[in-house]
Amino acid sequence: MKTIGCYLTGILPRPEGLIETTRAYERGRISREELENAFEKATKEVIKVQLSAGLSYVIDGMLKWQDLLRPFTENLNGVSVGSLARWFNNNTFYRKPIICSKISCEKSIVKEITYIEFLPKNIPWKAILPAPYTFAQLAENQHYRDKNELMFDYAKILNKEVTELADIGFQHIQLSDPALVYQPTSKSIFKDELVIVKEALEVAVKGVSAKTCLQTFFGDFTRVLPEALEFPVDYLGIDLYETRVETLEKYDFDKSVALGIMDGRSSLIENPSGLAKLTKKIVKTIYSSDFKEMFVCPNCDLEFLPWKRAKEKIKTLGVLARQLEKELYE
Amino acid sequence: MNKLFPTQEIGSLAKPRWRVKGYRGEQLSAEEISEAISWGEKLGIANLKQFVQVLRAKDSPKRRKAIREWSAKFAIKFFEKAGLDVVFDGEQWRSEMYEHFIRRVAGFQFLGYVKSFDYRYFNKAACVSEPKYVKPIYLEEFLFTKQNATKKVKVPFTGAYTLVDWTFNEYYEKKIDGKIGDFTRRKFEAKREFLFNLIKNVIRPEIRNLVDSGAEWIQIDEPAATTNPSDEEMELFVEAFNETVRGFNCKFSLHNCYSNYKILAKYAPELRNCNQLALEFANRDSRQTGTGKIRTGYEEIKIFEEYGFSGNYGLGVVDVHSNFVEPPELVRDRVLHAVKIVGDASRIWVNPDCGLRTRSWDVSFQKLKNMVLGAELARKSLQ
Repeated sequence: MKTIGCYLTGILPRPEGLIETTRAYERGRISREELENAFEKATKEVIKVQLSAGLSYVIDGMLKWQDLLRPFTENLNGVSVGSLARWFNNNTFYRKPIICSKISCEKSIVKEITYIEFLPKNIPWKAILPAPYTFAQLAENQHYRDKNELMFDYAKILNKEVTELADIGFQHIQLSDPALVYQPTSKSIFKDELVIVKEALEVAVKGVSAKTCLQTFFGDFTRVLPEALEFPVDYLGIDLYETRVETLEKYDFDKSVALGIMDGRSSLIENPSGLAKLTKKIVKTIYSSDFKEMFVCPNCDLEFLPWKRAKEKIKTLGVLARQLEKELYE
Repeated sequence: MNKLFPTQEIGSLAKPRWRVKGYRGEQLSAEEISEAISWGEKLGIANLKQFVQVLRAKDSPKRRKAIREWSAKFAIKFFEKAGLDVVFDGEQWRSEMYEHFIRRVAGFQFLGYVKSFDYRYFNKAACVSEPKYVKPIYLEEFLFTKQNATKKVKVPFTGAYTLVDWTFNEYYEKKIDGKIGDFTRRKFEAKREFLFNLIKNVIRPEIRNLVDSGAEWIQIDEPAATTNPSDEEMELFVEAFNETVRGFNCKFSLHNCYSNYKILAKYAPELRNCNQLALEFANRDSRQTGTGKIRTGYEEIKIFEEYGFSGNYGLGVVDVHSNFVEPPELVRDRVLHAVKIVGDASRIWVNPDCGLRTRSWDVSFQKLKNMVLGAELARKSLQ
């Protein structure tokens, strides 16, 4: 029995109405309550679109997240919100977490910011959090002896977060790890570092009952192969718009993959038949034996697109998954 | 320039309220009109009576055009009154650097707003057919500025690499689809074709027009220059700059800020016909006076020197993201520190980090005046 699932992998773009509202709020023209109402309305809309597209898991859309790290940057003890920095190779910016003292947390960060009450009961839920390596790499460390120490402290907090999310019903936890593969100027592969990354991941997902995925993007996944095959997660997410497929196909996977086959940074709507063909080719080469479960997904967040285009991409994703399921069964 | 440390502006200046509302076709309040008049008097603008008539007039295309021209005139005088040696119109003619350009070129369609950060967004276009030059982009603005300025004029020009990097590449990605199997290659090749078609069809014809109309100095603005720091992308950026400026009888400079200068420094020597690199440093620097170790913000000039960049520096000595008005002594020390690193005072020009559009006119004016005084102090200390 094979399953082809599909889901989203990051922050969704704010629908037009919400953009207008956030701008009005920023200019002091509307109240906090009106802003909150607009977020609720938009969240319901982005959930509805995922349902009608027939995705296998649903996310709340993360519309409030100013960047992937922000809920943590704002809520962890020992961290202050720093200045703007470029979000990898995008024309989008995040605020650097400045680590001023040992980090800790009494709150439930992701649970608090997520619109759990709007998530439908009839479809499994997915939550997305920054992976230990990415958090540590993007932070400005003014306290810890080195970034690894910071990474392990963050992984412990992350474990508390994901355990809690799994307990309240999230069946899929994605840890987003762009920094692990985004190495545009370095030729060497950090093999030693990957051992530590694996240990930090072990801390982060220890005892978690939900399925876990390490979603990489903005870089070539083959940089972390074959080590990533041993990472303590159920799925590995691969950005096919940055990964050399020829190299990828040299490896034998016994782990499930989430193929980032839809380009979240291009406004062009993909042709599902073309993507299905490529997916089948990759699947046939990376699995020498039969595979049990895999996902097709956008390569990264869809927040780089206007919502209208993102919506079309979400629909196409559903079409692609159904087409694949049909064709792979035949 | 014969004197040492000539001063210049980099680009944008805030648009006064009367410019924004007036251009939108709105009526102005008495307070807004009196604010306009008071600046007009301060800057010594001629025919203020006529100006006030325009402000008080009912909305019409003629009034909007007049308002735009008056605001350009004000901005030119603003820079000249502050004492700068090289000026432009504070980009009063433009909405901003991206949309203004793209809207004047055929082949693009705006798709809507995408997040820049927090609750800030930008209207992002897609290239949907081959870009075509249908009308001049900066020409009218340049001619107006040239006519109204008494100082030397420099034209800020949004660079091709940035325009391409900030635009969805639908046309070329579709065109190449199926020809190259690998997605990574496909995207890169599509970007390359888009970039060089834009340069050939639009950028060079516009530069040709500007040069034929008397432009002597064009500043290529490339905020996206180091967005993609891989060798392949940086080589593409260099090739785009070189192709943009190739063969024109005009001075060219490059402005880039809030970027990865370690990367830019490596490629700077490969930029041909790049007379000056205008860079941002004050933003990174300490506010204490002195030269030497204290000038942490200027460390990276060393890297440009080590890689062998031999052109001039447009030294950012004024932080455009803060209302702190740099004292002349601080400006002086930043300049003198740079001279020590570079070893040749004639290679240093003096300017703000970037355009001043986020500061009020009051703050901008004080900052620029002190910048000019600081450059003068630096000149004196070397005599």
